[in-house]
Amino acid sequence: MAGLTLRDVRKSYGATQVMHGVDLDIEDGEFVVFVGPSGCGKSTLLRMIAGLEEITSGSVCIGDTEVNQVAASKRGVAMVFQTYALYPHMTVYKNMAFGLKQAKTDPAEIDRRVKAAAEILQITDYLDRSPRNLSGGQRQRVAIGRAIVRDPEVFLFDEPLSNLDAALRVQTRLEIARLHERLETTMIYVTHDQVEAMTLADKIVVLRDGRVEQVGSPIELYERPRNAFVAQFIGSPKMNFFDADELTSEAAGVLGRAADANVQIGLRPEHMIPTATGAVVEGKLELVENLGEYALVHLITAKGTEFIAKTEKPPSQAKGEMIGFTIKPELAHAFDKTTGLRLVE
Amino acid sequence: MSKRTLPRILQTPSVLLLLVWMLVPLSMTLYFSFIRYVLNSSIRPEWTTPALSNWRGLGNYKYVLDAKDFWFAIQNSVLIVSSILIITVVLGLGIAVLINRNFPGRGIVRVLLISPFFVMPAVNAVLWINMILDPVLGLQGLAVDGLNSLIDGLRDFPILGWFFNLWPVLEPISFRATQTSAYAVIMMVAWQWTPFAVLIFMTSLQSEDESQKEAATLDGASPWSQFINLTVPHLARPIAIVVMIQSIFHLSLYAEIEIVSRGNGNKNLPYLIGEFTSNNIGAASATGIFAVILANIIAIFLLRMVGKTLMD
Repeated sequence: MAGLTLRDVRKSYGATQVMHGVDLDIEDGEFVVFVGPSGCGKSTLLRMIAGLEEITSGSVCIGDTEVNQVAASKRGVAMVFQTYALYPHMTVYKNMAFGLKQAKTDPAEIDRRVKAAAEILQITDYLDRSPRNLSGGQRQRVAIGRAIVRDPEVFLFDEPLSNLDAALRVQTRLEIARLHERLETTMIYVTHDQVEAMTLADKIVVLRDGRVEQVGSPIELYERPRNAFVAQFIGSPKMNFFDADELTSEAAGVLGRAADANVQIGLRPEHMIPTATGAVVEGKLELVENLGEYALVHLITAKGTEFIAKTEKPPSQAKGEMIGFTIKPELAHAFDKTTGLRLVE
Repeated sequence: MSKRTLPRILQTPSVLLLLVWMLVPLSMTLYFSFIRYVLNSSIRPEWTTPALSNWRGLGNYKYVLDAKDFWFAIQNSVLIVSSILIITVVLGLGIAVLINRNFPGRGIVRVLLISPFFVMPAVNAVLWINMILDPVLGLQGLAVDGLNSLIDGLRDFPILGWFFNLWPVLEPISFRATQTSAYAVIMMVAWQWTPFAVLIFMTSLQSEDESQKEAATLDGASPWSQFINLTVPHLARPIAIVVMIQSIFHLSLYAEIEIVSRGNGNKNLPYLIGEFTSNNIGAASATGIFAVILANIIAIFLLRMVGKTLMD
C-alpha cells in the first residue's frame, strides 16, 4: 500500500496542452474521486497514473518512487475499466489469473489468490463461465476481481458504474465502498457523477479543463466551494446564482452583507425557504415537479434568471404568481462575478 | 390457398432454376462416368456418341484409379492448397498487424498491398514464371548471377580470399522442372492471395477492443503475449473464413499450373480432368466425381472448424 504524489503534472498532445500542471497529494489508504464534466482531463490524469498515457512533464510518485519511466505493469496499480475490458476468450478464472500467469507466479499461489478474490466478490459460482454469459453487474465484479488478485498498491477505477442500470449502480457503489473498507488500499476513482463522488470519497478532486479547481472532503466542497464552478458542480439540483440587482431590498439585511454589481450570490435550492415577508429573492412560479418526498419548484426572476427551489411541499400559489424565498445567512454563498472566486466574509 | 402456398409458388422458379443448374451437370457427369465416351476414335466410332449401349460400369473409375497420375494429383492438390493456406494466413496476420497502426502514407501502402489481388491469375503466373523465377532472365537469375560475380570478386581479396574460395558457385533453380513447379505455383498464388487475408484480418483488427489490450498491458503481458492471447482468438472467425474461401478457390487452380509447366511434374485434380477431356470424356467425368468426393471430405472438416468458431 502506498500514497501518491503528483507534482506539476502536464500533458500535451502535439501543441495542445490538456493538463496544465496538476499538484496533488494522496494519502495511503485514501479513497480519492476525480470528478468533473466530460473533457476535463480526469480520465487522462488517471491513465497517466496507470502508465497508459505518457507524462509530458512533472512527476508522479507512488510511495517514494517516481514512476514516470516505470512500465505500467511494474507500478503496482490495477485498473477497472469503464467497458470492463474482460478478455472475451477466457473464462472468469483465466481472466483473473492472467496477470499472475504473466508474472510467472506459482500455480498453487495463483489458485489461492483467485479463489480468495472470488470469495470476496461472491463470484465463486461462475469462475468457469465465459464473460459473454455474465450480466453487466457480474462482469463488473469480475473486472474488480481481476484487479484485486494482483494485490496492487493503488486501485484505479475509470467510471466503473456508467454502464450499469440505476438500481445496480447504487448496489455496486455500496460494494465498492465496502471493498475499500475491507482492503484499506488507496483507491482513485474517476466519475462525472457527483452523487458517486459525494458518497464514496474521502477526498474529492474537482477538475475543469485540465486544472484542479478544488481538493477537499465532500462536505468541505459542499459547504465551502472555492469558486462558482465547484459550487455549481457539487450538489443536485445545481446552486442558483443571482446578480445583486435581482435581490430584494431586504436581502442585504437578511444576508448580512451588501451586494454590489461585482458580486454573485449563490443559494442552494434545498436551502431556500418560501416566505411571505423578508424575502431575499422573488420569482414567478413556472413549473412544479412534485416527487412526493419533496417538490422542485421552477421559478423565474423579474430579470429573467431561472432558478429552482427544493421545498418540502408544493407551493399553494398558482402558476404565474410571485413567491418570495429567504435563506439562513450562513448558508448563502457569495462569489466574485469576474474571477468566480468565493468571497470570504 | 393456405398462408404458405403463395410464398412457395413464388419461390418455385428460383428453386427450380438452382436445381436444374446444379443437377443437370452433376447427373450428366455421373452418366458419362459410367459409359465409354471419347471425342475421337477411328477404331470404335460408336464410342464417340454418348449412349447407354456403351455402358462401362465402374470401368472408368478403375481406369482413373490405375492411371499413373491420379494419386499424384490428389497428393499435389492437398499439398498446394495446404501450403498456400499456411503461407497466406501467417503472412496475412503479420502484415495486417503491421499496418494496423498510424504511419505516414498508410493509405498508399494499403492500396499497394491489396493490388496483387486484382491481377488476373494467368497474368500473375506469366509475370512470376518469366520475370521473377526464370533462372536466366528473371530476377532470380539476375540475383544469382550478381551473387556469383560478387563472390568471385572477393576470391582475389588478400588474406580473406581463401574463405570465399570455399564457397560453391550458386546455381539458379529452374521452377519449370518436375520437382519444383509446384513450389512456383504455391509462391505465386500465395503472393496473390495474401492481400485477401490481409484485407479480412485488417477489418477485423479495427474492431478489436483497445481497452482489453490496455488491461493486458497493466497485467504485464508483452506485445507477443497480447497477440497470442487476445488478437489471435479475436481473429478466429476471420481466419476460419479465409481458410474456407481459399480452400474452395485453390482446389480448382488451373491457369497457374498450365502456364508454369503444362502439368509436367505438377498436376492437381482439375488439371488431370483437363487432360482427360482432350479425348476421354468418360475418364474425365470419373475424375470429376473423385474431385467432388475430395472437395466434400475437405468441406466436412472445414464446416466443422468454421461452424465451431461461428458458434462461439
